[in-house]
Amino acid sequence: MIAVWLSELVVFALFVAGILAERPAALAATGGALIAAAALLRFVPSLRTALAAGFARHRAAALAGGAVLALALPLALRASPYWTFVATLALLYVTIGQGLNLQIGTAGVINLAGAAFAGLGGYSVGLLTLSAGWPAWLALLVAPWIAVSVGAVLFVPILKTRGHYLALVTIAFGFIFNILMNNLEFTGGPQGLKNIPTLRLVGWAFTSKPALAGVELPAHANFYYAALLVAGLTTWALRRLHDSWLGLALNTLRDDEIAARCCGVSLTRGKLLAFSIGNLCIGLGGALYAVMVGFVSPPDFDFGYSLVMLSVVIIGGVDSIPGVVLGACLLLPLPERFRFLHEYRLLLYGAVIVVMLLYRPRGLWPAAVRRYR
Amino acid sequence: MNAPILETRRLTVRFGGLVALDGVDVAVGPGETLGVIGPNGSGKTTFFNALTGLYTPAAGEIVFGGRRVTGLEAHAIARLGIARTFQASRLCLALSVFDNILIGMHARRTTGLADSVVRRWRFRREMGAALERAAHLLALFNRELPGRGFEPVGQLPQIDRRRVEICRALAAGPTLLLLDEPSAGMNPEETAELMRDLQIVRAEMPGLSVIIIEHDMFVIEGVSGRVVAFNYGRKIAEGSFAAVAAHEEVRQAYLGTERARA
Repeated sequence: MIAVWLSELVVFALFVAGILAERPAALAATGGALIAAAALLRFVPSLRTALAAGFARHRAAALAGGAVLALALPLALRASPYWTFVATLALLYVTIGQGLNLQIGTAGVINLAGAAFAGLGGYSVGLLTLSAGWPAWLALLVAPWIAVSVGAVLFVPILKTRGHYLALVTIAFGFIFNILMNNLEFTGGPQGLKNIPTLRLVGWAFTSKPALAGVELPAHANFYYAALLVAGLTTWALRRLHDSWLGLALNTLRDDEIAARCCGVSLTRGKLLAFSIGNLCIGLGGALYAVMVGFVSPPDFDFGYSLVMLSVVIIGGVDSIPGVVLGACLLLPLPERFRFLHEYRLLLYGAVIVVMLLYRPRGLWPAAVRRYR
Repeated sequence: MNAPILETRRLTVRFGGLVALDGVDVAVGPGETLGVIGPNGSGKTTFFNALTGLYTPAAGEIVFGGRRVTGLEAHAIARLGIARTFQASRLCLALSVFDNILIGMHARRTTGLADSVVRRWRFRREMGAALERAAHLLALFNRELPGRGFEPVGQLPQIDRRRVEICRALAAGPTLLLLDEPSAGMNPEETAELMRDLQIVRAEMPGLSVIIIEHDMFVIEGVSGRVVAFNYGRKIAEGSFAAVAAHEEVRQAYLGTERARA
């Protein structure tokens, strides 16, 4: 158990050091430690199996340890509001990634309009608060369902198309969404919606600076903890759905539609459920994003971000719940580290996807066999 | 024969101008095993696809368990109690052996989404029983298979995959089982094992009606009580294996006419 916690602490320390190291010496030390840890795991199989057995035996302790470290992350990043923001963004991508993974990975419903569904959540929050005058928390609860409803309309062409054609339908939808947001009057056109009011829960405004254990944290830490709660709940619920009749039925529909139907699985119901639950998560992620930054505009939800969401799923591991968490936690901070590449961020994602598909097609953390626990 | 469990009346399937199934009348009684033979392209698999709702009949009707099921969707027909296997295996090779059988029980689940997430104990109880049943079905055919239940089905040899596919069909608790050429691609030893497996199914579920498509006359003769022969989408003969095998039109369909051979 101690070994489990210790190894989690090492990963956490490397992660934080990787983010915060600025001077060349510190960067080099962190890089060296990372390579040493990876090499140790790669070339000492006994260590690897011992650790794997430890994590398998102390699942609850490992989860608790991970939760404590996730709660402590803003403390480690407190000097940098920017990195607190990036960490929050990664958590939003966990939520979005879980939804997208249910669609693409579990059910095989290729959705290349993730950003559009996130945008539906974000714009809905903006309109509900600014135009309808709703409080942010209520808008946050309702906005994801708007993404689900629009998705249900799109479902008719989705049900009638497969594979590449389905991918094209969703790409087209993503562009339609962007063009509409750019040109519609009530969504603010290219300027988007500004000054979305922040979240206020039982008198606590999310713009004020919280304190943890007597240490003052940046205001973004509020959203970090909100996003952590949402990402945790989403991951928990989707893991259970994946290891249930629904996950089994969706996997079977994905792999062999005819066999599934002849076993009594309804194609329409299965794909509609997967698509809707997925859009609920994606819309929720987008809605939280809008409340966090207080501003939405068309470029925030363009096709490039759909690809980022897709890379989270593919790099983490298609149909793998822990893979999505890993994918988001690696893929969101990484390009921020490589600032000098910033204009080529999409290129980086593209290259990473190609390399992964070639050499590790099942992702960094491949889907495990369903055990129904 | 008792009141039939399945009856087709003038069942017809068309693909554009092609009549793939032409006014077929077939009836199967409870607990009966009916063999279906015929040359390639004679409409045997089309017959199964129509029965299971994959094809919509152009004319005629299908009555199953006293209920008209013509035009129902495939999943609805499956839920009424028709299960099938496929000529080319249709297992999900990346999924586990258990998963491939559990999907057969999917339609009979009693726990929903809420049970999967928040009232997990209900789901676990139901799934525990389902896993036991899957292991029981596997053990009927091969004692070692339940121990490999959590392995991907793609790691099993061909004969065991065929068994998993039969288990999946049986898992649904059907009243009618359709076997589409189960010996396809098997050597004589494997075919003999398959015959034994089919006898196990018979012994385990005596009330189950079975329709089996086979090219292997040894299998047909061994397992079926009654045989129908198809040619060009029509039923050309029906009766005991010996009678159908001796039927002039059947012999012509398989061997060609005297003039063609001359």
